[in-house]
Amino acid sequence: MFLINCPHCGERDQSEFNCGGEAHIVRPKNPLNLTDDQWADYLFMRKNIKGIQFERWNHSNGCRRWFNVVRNTATDEILKIYNIGEKAPQIEGNNPKTPSGEPIIGSGNYSTSFEKKQ
Amino acid sequence: MLDREKTILAINNIMEKNEIKIQELPFLNKINLRLNPNNNQHMSICENILETILPIQSNTYSQNKKVKSIWLSPDEWLVVYDDDDDDIFINLKDKLGDIEASVTDISENRTVIRISGKNIFILLSKFLVLDLEKNLSTQTSCVQTLFVKVPVLLLRNNKDNQTPEVDIFVNKSHANYIYNLIIDGTKNLDF
Repeated sequence: MFLINCPHCGERDQSEFNCGGEAHIVRPKNPLNLTDDQWADYLFMRKNIKGIQFERWNHSNGCRRWFNVVRNTATDEILKIYNIGEKAPQIEGNNPKTPSGEPIIGSGNYSTSFEKKQ
Repeated sequence: MLDREKTILAINNIMEKNEIKIQELPFLNKINLRLNPNNNQHMSICENILETILPIQSNTYSQNKKVKSIWLSPDEWLVVYDDDDDDIFINLKDKLGDIEASVTDISENRTVIRISGKNIFILLSKFLVLDLEKNLSTQTSCVQTLFVKVPVLLLRNNKDNQTPEVDIFVNKSHANYIYNLIIDGTKNLDF
């Protein structure tokens, strides 16, 4: 559990919010020209970083507004909150080593670490 | 059975000692109002009809003798009034139109439980993840949050020198659940 500073309502408990997954995923301009793999990649494949991740959050039990959050998924530290539509901020020291030293992408387990199909 | 009677007696004693009163308010008209706060024409139409401002500041409400307009989000307000005639709803609907604004009658959606008495913040904080002293600090404070797992809107209803009084706006289907929880919460309350 952690606190999130909603841009409209102020600091509230995480249980009032819903996470909407990774932010800044752009919809392809011509979906009809995509292969199945490319379309699946857009729909389903997420980085799931263990470290600093850009996410969308919704204050579902408050003002019901969406906003973006930069969060360290390993420590739940929130580094920045900014509005939907704004560009992703530059966060220095992106993806530092996780506390237990696992790979930053994947489930955190070496044996199941994610390798993208070429 | 005896335990139950003892418990009810204990609850009554605590409630009397702290002057805690819980009641469901009679039917209130409620309108959900959505419009662009930068549209001065729409804002002034609303202020003329409601005879009070639509608050821009988050987590506040404004009121006059018959109407309360409560901030819900930057472009959404809840208008509550107990007048029997529907002039306010009809006037808002007619004057604002339905292209750039939305006026919806949600009177049947929520009911209001009013709780008053000493130390009710301690009682309510058993069920909330919110710092009530901070979030209901001013006379016109309101806050939307979760009551256990039920979404509620809390409205502070008392002046600084009066006994605390809070209105809980909650879905009708959850009202009984919340009422029972509050009663149960007084049982082992160490004031």
